[in-house]
Amino acid sequence: MSSVELTPLEAARWAARVGLPLPADRYAVVATTARHIHSVVAVLRELDFADTPPAPAYRAEQENHDAAV
Amino acid sequence: MQPYELPLSAAADAIRARQLSPVELADSVLERIGEVEPHLQAYVTVTAEHARRAAREAEGDIAAGRYRGPLHGIPMALKDLIDVAGTATSAGSRVRANHRAQADSAVAARLAAAGAVLVGKTHTHEFAYGLTTPQTHNAWNTGRIAGGSSGGSAVAVAAGAATFALGTDTGGSIRVPAALNGVVGLKPTYGLVPRHGVTPLSWSLDHVGPITRTVKDAALVLTALAGHDPRDPASLATPAVDYRPGAGADLTGLRIGVPRTYYFDHVDAEVEAATRRAIGRLQSLGARLVEVGIPMTRYIRATQWGLMVPEATAYHENTLRTVPELYQADVRILLEAGELMPAGDYLRAQRARTLMRQEWARMLEEVDLIVAPTVPATAVEAGQESITWADGTVEGVSDAYVRLSSPANITGLPSLSVPVGHDAAGLPIGMQLLGRPLEESVLLRVGHAYEQTRPARELAPTT
Repeated sequence: MSSVELTPLEAARWAARVGLPLPADRYAVVATTARHIHSVVAVLRELDFADTPPAPAYRAEQENHDAAV
Repeated sequence: MQPYELPLSAAADAIRARQLSPVELADSVLERIGEVEPHLQAYVTVTAEHARRAAREAEGDIAAGRYRGPLHGIPMALKDLIDVAGTATSAGSRVRANHRAQADSAVAARLAAAGAVLVGKTHTHEFAYGLTTPQTHNAWNTGRIAGGSSGGSAVAVAAGAATFALGTDTGGSIRVPAALNGVVGLKPTYGLVPRHGVTPLSWSLDHVGPITRTVKDAALVLTALAGHDPRDPASLATPAVDYRPGAGADLTGLRIGVPRTYYFDHVDAEVEAATRRAIGRLQSLGARLVEVGIPMTRYIRATQWGLMVPEATAYHENTLRTVPELYQADVRILLEAGELMPAGDYLRAQRARTLMRQEWARMLEEVDLIVAPTVPATAVEAGQESITWADGTVEGVSDAYVRLSSPANITGLPSLSVPVGHDAAGLPIGMQLLGRPLEESVLLRVGHAYEQTRPARELAPTT
């Protein structure tokens, strides 16, 4: 485990901070799953988003065919 | 041929011509349910009494000249995430014990208005958060998984235990079980079919759509489902469209994109061969094949997870705190771990989605649609957790099944899964057609043309 990866105790503290107190027997499994999810989504940091806005709600038919302009 | 064996369009023709009564059809389907349910377990609830009453009403209305259209008197099943007034929406979860829907969902109301007859609610992977639907067995081999999350709906249609069904699709949950059970599944354009009254998994990825025996059947159901509903904030204001494909099978002039990346990587050899044979048939119908490179493939899984995980966790925020022990272990851990995802990761996924939509729009200027396998493997054994590919790579079963279907959820593009044969073990193989936003008609035309080159598809040999 690298030094930046979530430990079971840190997972428990993070969960408590968002209002989800975990029983002690959940610390390790939650930390393991959270590390896995993090490893999947972390590759998005490679992208240069420049001025790209998020698409939290969007209209699928309103495609911008001149997006590069 | 028994009435339950008829695909929707044939049953509708027979009902309209008064050669078949909706009561006979409902009785036949209910009898079939009685035969196959002990083996398949597709249904949570069978609404036999309601179905017989609704069928009698349909019979009376049609006899009195009040024929409503091709869904009138047709038995259907709804995934148990879809509200029907007065019945439970269990969502496959103990969390929903004692639930009772107060009102019809938008889609249930539209299908009822079209005269369709509800025969029951079908099993879903718990809250649609999974790709297997462990309660249900594959219609072609009960030792194999049904696929999910709309597993019950796909199995019911494949076995003749419903003439059509509805599913929901957040990463492939209509198309995956459709492919694994040899039936047609359509995930429409994001916003085309309203989701009001359907339990969400992930608001920005969720879709509702039909599961049917034939492409023409899917077109008939979509015609009844599509259209604006202000109660779904993503619902599009689109004009009414009759999606029924024309009779012709000529595809001359159509440009079909064949991916040279991603969609044929880590795909079972028999699945690839069946898909390429089907692509060859489309070419023989006049379509021009164009190789395309799929954009941003490295970021597909990350974007899907970055959107789905925090949205699902948000929906379950209260019950995860009050009754966590009622969730199944696989769903509970994803919901808990989702609490630890920073907002920055979610926004990055939202911005990646913007880029991906732009790149797919550019690709779809070069071609009219894309063809690809729906899933990289046929149905695995129940309980199997991973797939080992020829190069030794090991992939989780759910990761594998969602891999080829999730791009259409991220981009909101329509995707239609069509059966294209079976592997050596007799398990069905599906091909997906992906199109431009709101161009369902193109996908349905191509899928229907393909089906016309093949003998009529048989029901799963369930006993």
